[in-house]
Amino acid sequence: MNAAIRLPVEQAYASELQALARNDDRQRPAGWSLSPKAVLTYLLGGKADDGTLITPKYVGRRRLMETAVATLATDRALLLLGVPGTAKSWVSEHLAAAIMGDSTLIVQCTAGTDENQIRYGWNYAQLLAKGPSQEALVPTPLYRAMQDGKLCRLEELTRMGSDVQDTLITVLSEKMMPIPELNTSIYAQRGFNIIATANNRDKGVNELSSALKRRFNVVVLPLPEDMAEEVAIVSKRVGEMAGGLDLPVPKNVGEEIARVLTIFRELRSGATSDGKVTLKTPSGSLSTAEAIATMVGGLSQAAWFDSGKLGAEGLAASLVGAIVKDPVQDKLVLEEYLETVLKKRPDYAGYYAALNAAI
Amino acid sequence: MASGDVSYFGIRHHGPGSAASLVQALQELKPVAVLIEGPADASALLPSLASPEMQPPVALLCYPEDDPASTSFWPFAEFSPEYQATLWAVANSAKVRFIDLPSSARVAPVDAAQETDGTEATVEVETAPHLRDPIGTLAQAAGYEDGESWWADIIEQNPEPGPIFAAIADAMTTLREGEGPLAEFEAKREAHMRLEIAAARKEFDGPIAVVCGAFHVPALQAIRPLKEDQALLKGLARRKSTMTWAPWTGPRLALGLGYGAGVVAPGWCKHLWRTRGRHDAATLWLAMIATVLRAKGHMVSTASLIEAERLARALAAIRERPKPGFEELRDAAVAALFNGEAVLWALVEAELLLGADVGEIPPDTPLAPLIEDLQRNQKAARLKPEALERELSVDLRSDSGLFRSTLLHRLNVLGVHWGKLIDSGRSRGTFRERWTLSWEPEYAVRLVENLVHGPTIEKAANGRLVQMIGAATSLDALAALVQGAITANLSEASTSGLAALEERAARSSECLEILASVPPLADIIRYGEARKTETARLSGLLERLIIEGGIALAYAARDLDAQAASALVGTMRKADEAIKLVEPEQDVLDAWRAGLAAVLDGSRSTALVAGCAAHLLYEAGHLSAEAAAGLIERRLSPGTPVTEAAGFFEGFFSTAGQRLIYDESLRGAVDAWLKSLDEDAFIAHLPLLRRVFSHLDSMERRRLIEAVLGRVRRLPAGLTPTPSGEEAWRRHLERLGPLLTGGNGNG
Repeated sequence: MNAAIRLPVEQAYASELQALARNDDRQRPAGWSLSPKAVLTYLLGGKADDGTLITPKYVGRRRLMETAVATLATDRALLLLGVPGTAKSWVSEHLAAAIMGDSTLIVQCTAGTDENQIRYGWNYAQLLAKGPSQEALVPTPLYRAMQDGKLCRLEELTRMGSDVQDTLITVLSEKMMPIPELNTSIYAQRGFNIIATANNRDKGVNELSSALKRRFNVVVLPLPEDMAEEVAIVSKRVGEMAGGLDLPVPKNVGEEIARVLTIFRELRSGATSDGKVTLKTPSGSLSTAEAIATMVGGLSQAAWFDSGKLGAEGLAASLVGAIVKDPVQDKLVLEEYLETVLKKRPDYAGYYAALNAAI
Repeated sequence: MASGDVSYFGIRHHGPGSAASLVQALQELKPVAVLIEGPADASALLPSLASPEMQPPVALLCYPEDDPASTSFWPFAEFSPEYQATLWAVANSAKVRFIDLPSSARVAPVDAAQETDGTEATVEVETAPHLRDPIGTLAQAAGYEDGESWWADIIEQNPEPGPIFAAIADAMTTLREGEGPLAEFEAKREAHMRLEIAAARKEFDGPIAVVCGAFHVPALQAIRPLKEDQALLKGLARRKSTMTWAPWTGPRLALGLGYGAGVVAPGWCKHLWRTRGRHDAATLWLAMIATVLRAKGHMVSTASLIEAERLARALAAIRERPKPGFEELRDAAVAALFNGEAVLWALVEAELLLGADVGEIPPDTPLAPLIEDLQRNQKAARLKPEALERELSVDLRSDSGLFRSTLLHRLNVLGVHWGKLIDSGRSRGTFRERWTLSWEPEYAVRLVENLVHGPTIEKAANGRLVQMIGAATSLDALAALVQGAITANLSEASTSGLAALEERAARSSECLEILASVPPLADIIRYGEARKTETARLSGLLERLIIEGGIALAYAARDLDAQAASALVGTMRKADEAIKLVEPEQDVLDAWRAGLAAVLDGSRSTALVAGCAAHLLYEAGHLSAEAAAGLIERRLSPGTPVTEAAGFFEGFFSTAGQRLIYDESLRGAVDAWLKSLDEDAFIAHLPLLRRVFSHLDSMERRRLIEAVLGRVRRLPAGLTPTPSGEEAWRRHLERLGPLLTGGNGNG
């Protein structure tokens, strides 16, 4: 048995992908393993032609996913932009899995990423022995994607230096990468494309040059618009993750998700959900992803320490951790929120007490 | 005659798609008569719609002669099927007429409304969305945001090109199946249309085309006994109504007027109409987006446009639509041109979707009454509407000058800014006004809209001002409106404004409001003569307001924060200036000064306001120089908190810097105060001193410094005063004095 914590999605959702591929006789762009329509069904959920139920991977605006898939179908690179925790990497991984059946060609961009990790590197033993040659060349995921006509994922594109980012310009516009050392170039095979993700608002990011930005179609992933949509996302992911970690899911998890999300959304938007009280906002982004982590933390606490009962006491510690990122400022924000809002809500009495104790 | 001779064309009002299909269908049918949904009594005006000088957007407007306030509009755009049908009919010499209820029956018959519970005084508007725009509703049900794209995709891309309009009629029959009885008004309209069609059938020998909103088709096709329809229309109340054409604008098309349906995006519709039958419509639309973006300073490259178009096509393919429609083009533009920022789309949206078209009507059409009245007035004033800016100077003493000024002021009241007053911020202390004139076609439309207020410029301006006066809540706003009414010589509005002002003044005790209303009223009284208005009533009111303001002042000055204090000070200074100019009775003046003194003495008065009051009293001579110096010394003494001292200082000197140069005792007091400050306090005061003295120009500042340092001003180099100069000057002065004062020095 495979003991990996998390399998790549093309394996985790293999049955859905197969079901979709089975009766998919619509036209496919070169190198795609599914038609664009089927990719959309895979992302947004629905039914395969043979009746297999497809779970939704992205809950949100259909238009955005349509734009993303259409972009990749035109061999143009896709840039997914958004604040942390808006499912950028999640969408990118599922797109690669659905389109190519392979989401593993990935470059994790950081401030330390250099050109050798984007273009190609050298095996120095070979380089010394034989001089510059094809054998001495170490391909990168991007190199391999070009060679094999696959999708390459660039995670957190804006975290690497601007000079390194700009190596991509030629690759994106000419679909080729020169290797001057060998006096040759590699030409991207049909099917090659890039999905990049980036934060538009974070510390330590490098703005994309307009030359590079122009070569991407940009899709901005927003935070979920309404409460119901966000509850659906969190419930689904919490269920999946609890399954992966063998955590039992108590019955009242739905109610607790609604309460935690209310707290998250109110603090994030700076106003209570009825719009009557304005609030200060904490420094963190309080994204959907953090709400999921908070819930999973609470479930784990419940399973191991609270004899399976999920409640405010168990969630309080993770909630405080998610909200208070700056020990001084955010603590004041949370205290004010507790006193002005939660104190007056009878059904949040447990949270009021537990959070007060936890700060 | 067989009923097959009548063809029904259910269209989407203002839908370019249905306009194109309609023209094609008319071409094939070649009807001898075209019947259009529209007020039947306006049929005579229809042919002029096709005149080459008529540039849409234009609107047909109908209003009861005795009540222009209830005007109905029927707008026509270039892409309206009704307009295109008229063009076709006139070009092919077919008869064309309107068949809907006559406007005389449409315009709210007062007694009829009262019979039916008296609830609705206006025409019932088609409110339910499927009544207003059934095709848009079907499109939404099919997942389209834009009804036109749906029409293009579903109706026109029909793989078996068949009778489009038969398909529409079928869809509408299904839509209307099982619906309850119509609202009475709708039922009457359909009955009227049926009767007109029946009459036309008798009259014409040949095919007849009926162009009406798609929703009505099933009802018009239905065969019903004529008698039933006639019975329904019996006793229809009528009011004599007047009809004419008026120019219209693109943005106004988007308002929900007439035809029940506003056009959501006239810009997009016009684009669709202009590019019908072309294959590059999508490209042209993207190019238009790029043009607007570039005009707003965003760099958009041609390469990005190519990518946007490719993306739009891919999107259309994914959505299984035959070609990119409005949504695809928008989504593609957002992803490829706007870097994913939907906010940028909102920036260009209004300009693209609304457009800036202005219609024109031929000079010989009967004009809307307000436009007609304007032309009469223009002739009388000998002013021509010209687009190019030009300056006009008006002498208010002459009758013609006064007439011109009054006309321009009245138009401004109506929102028609043909003339803009230069230096309008300054009170018009002279009998001369300077205007910049520039006419924009848009103004004709504004005039038409103002019909709701009255049929002539004078009446409309009166009506509009009366309405604004009714809505005004504060005294100062009212005073400004009354001033406007008097300058525009609108007696009705000024009478009602004065009444409102008196009523409001009786109830108001808000000091700021009272004081703010003083300057405009004072202006009216001072310059009322130039405009020949009766001012006796006003001066009584003004005196009461001054006294009231004086009494309230001491209380209003208490415990204010910086912002409120500076607002009060600004208003106080303006009011004081106005009071001095208007020269009221001595007791009124005394009441005002007493108010100022109360502020100065009040222990809780905000320092800034107290400073200002002290200055005003000093200027008025109610505070002697010694008393002022003493006061300043006391208020600025080291014991007073620095911020309070600073506030008083600023209140006193913010407009009195010059005074320091010439007033020795005042200067001495300030000098002593400054010297008494220790270093920290002095540094803390520096920004304040700087602010106060920044009102002085460099020359004045030098003089002040010289005065402080006690230096005697030197004459320019090369000139030396004659030793006997002083004596000579005294002699001259002795002779000059009587001459200057006008005394009888000679006698």
